Amino acid sequence: MIEVSEIRKQFGEVRAVDGLSFKVAEGEIFGLLGPNGAGKTTTISMLSGLLAPDSGTITVAGMDASRGDRRVRALMGVIPQEIALYEELSGRENLHFWGGLYGLTGAALKRETDRVLDMVDLTDRADDQVGKYSGGMKRRINLCAGLIHSPKIILLDEPTLGIDPQARIKILDIVKKEAESGTTIIYTTHYLEEAEELCDRIAIIDKGAIHAEGSLAELVDLVGEEDMITVTGDFKSWKGDNLPEGVRLDHMEEGSLRFYISRKDSLGSLLNSFFGAGISVESVSIREPGLQGVFLKLTGRELRD
Amino acid sequence: MNTILRIFILDLKRRMKSPLAIVLTMCIPLVMTLIIGSVFGRDGDVKLPRIKMLFVDYDEGLAAQFLRRGLELGQLAEMVEVIPVVEEEGERLMAEGEASAMVVIPDSFTTKIVDGVPVTIRVVKNPSESFLPIIVEEIISTFGVILDCGTNTFREPIRKSKEILTDEGWPSLNELQTLMDEAKAIFALAGGYMVDTLLTVEESTVSEAGDEGNGKSSGFNVFSYVMAGSMLIGLLFTSNIMLRDIVRERASGTLTRTLAAPLSIWHVVAGKLLAAYMVTMVASIALLIIGRFVFGMDLGGPVVLAVHLSATIFMITGLMTFCFGLIKSERAAEAIVSVLIIVISLLGGGMIPISQMGEAFRVIARFSPVYWASDGFMKIFLNQAGLIDIVQNIVILTGIGLVTLLPGTWLLGRNLRKGGSK
Repeated sequence: MIEVSEIRKQFGEVRAVDGLSFKVAEGEIFGLLGPNGAGKTTTISMLSGLLAPDSGTITVAGMDASRGDRRVRALMGVIPQEIALYEELSGRENLHFWGGLYGLTGAALKRETDRVLDMVDLTDRADDQVGKYSGGMKRRINLCAGLIHSPKIILLDEPTLGIDPQARIKILDIVKKEAESGTTIIYTTHYLEEAEELCDRIAIIDKGAIHAEGSLAELVDLVGEEDMITVTGDFKSWKGDNLPEGVRLDHMEEGSLRFYISRKDSLGSLLNSFFGAGISVESVSIREPGLQGVFLKLTGRELRD
Repeated sequence: MNTILRIFILDLKRRMKSPLAIVLTMCIPLVMTLIIGSVFGRDGDVKLPRIKMLFVDYDEGLAAQFLRRGLELGQLAEMVEVIPVVEEEGERLMAEGEASAMVVIPDSFTTKIVDGVPVTIRVVKNPSESFLPIIVEEIISTFGVILDCGTNTFREPIRKSKEILTDEGWPSLNELQTLMDEAKAIFALAGGYMVDTLLTVEESTVSEAGDEGNGKSSGFNVFSYVMAGSMLIGLLFTSNIMLRDIVRERASGTLTRTLAAPLSIWHVVAGKLLAAYMVTMVASIALLIIGRFVFGMDLGGPVVLAVHLSATIFMITGLMTFCFGLIKSERAAEAIVSVLIIVISLLGGGMIPISQMGEAFRVIARFSPVYWASDGFMKIFLNQAGLIDIVQNIVILTGIGLVTLLPGTWLLGRNLRKGGSK
């Protein structure tokens, strides 16, 4: 359905997207997981035809989407990161406007407006001014505005940013239902749990480039079966030699050490070696393999950094 | 076309739901017109207070009486209140600021006038007042010139009559007959100048070409005079509010979302410009209706008014489009466009009518688009001008509109394209 090949975009000296390539099949939820500034929004802007890539190609449903072809845009529903609504108008008036831009008129426009309002449980408040809505309600109408014309492809750019858990659950639920009905979805987020819960395949993106791509299981396999152990304490007198078997030092900084262990019983040996050397240990944390570990291993930093 | 209409209707609907900014903007010309108009009165006449003139008469002769009675006659009496005082009391009243000026007629004033001896009238002015003491000084100077001319013209009969009157006994009929004949001869000689004057001044209202065309003339209404310029400020700011919305929408993300829909960027530009034109037009019509019914303005012929209004709003929309084609942020709009509006309004007669400006500013004003708009409105409101009379204004306004709208639209489109992604 979507094929992105070697796209690049530079703003002045900043290389926002640097040779990105991926494919998304019809009906698939494809996640772009990365921290702020990773290039996710720029990628979405290029996919939606708002920005032309400096180089590379984007093909959507067999059509060149690099130059913002209107036929391609008609297939898409874009849900931007910000609340892109007219606050002085009601939710219903907003939806009528956005639906109208995609060619919906008359009874069809009314029917689709009612459908999406019902979907997000906002029928009762549909005629209130958007400016009077709560943050979560605005997010839900923001979602509706991108879904009103029943697009074949939905581009969601961090749709749950800054909302309460209830509204987040609602939005994720809607996205899942859309995917079940055969809609292709590209979902950008920096919330690991969202990517894990929703996406069929995930691309880990940082500094404009994809570091890894695959299903959750495939990505976890990349870091192997090792658990990540973080130990904090006073390690001034620690020499760093004679590590127990199955323990690998990954990162060391003042007051904190990070290890990967392939055998669970190695943790006891590691801690005993600290106690034997008279080192005072303050805390020990264990993280089993997951997207956070994958991200850390691939980019060398935590997703929240 | 359908998409343009949707964007146009959306902007109108949004403005109707949130009209405060436009309403406040429209208050600018109304308040300006009300204040300036109230200061000068509906007919533009400045009503000065009656001037209090203290009159100290050490002479008490014929010439002093002539001067005082002259001040108490006709229109002068309405303008000047003559208060006879002794000098000490006059000085006290002046010190208390109770009068505008004190006129002191010296001793032997009449005798010296008759004898042709130079004599001085003293005018003491109140320093706390600016114009009124000057008016007193001018009035007294004028009387001085009249007395001077009179005594010089009738010097010989006056001299003889003085001799006759100072001789002992009654003058003979022969002496009186000779004196009367001489005076009569001088009157006859001067009569050609004094009675049947060569120069006639006829009072009339100055009118421009419009009167010649239709033969109509309207009374002067100072509100029309002020509103012709001040409404331009309101309309420029109204258009500014409408087009500034593009910058706001770029920041809020609604523009990005609109551009993600299957439409051309020119649909968005056209929809926004049409909405700006329409809202500015509605604002101007509202201002004119208020002007007509609140300020009693004569709006001239409907056709000429409609054509000039259309050309003016076309110019305003073009100018604002060009500005917002160059401007990318709301902060820049705030700093640049607002200042630009004030400057071109000030130079073009939007704040102070052009006729009240100095010669140099009248020349500079022609470089401000506001001048051509306000000049046209003034001709329509005050002189009932027809289309032919303001054809130059209409052509220039349309020209400015085209010259700014075409590149402005291109720049705005380019800006929107870039603004599609933030």
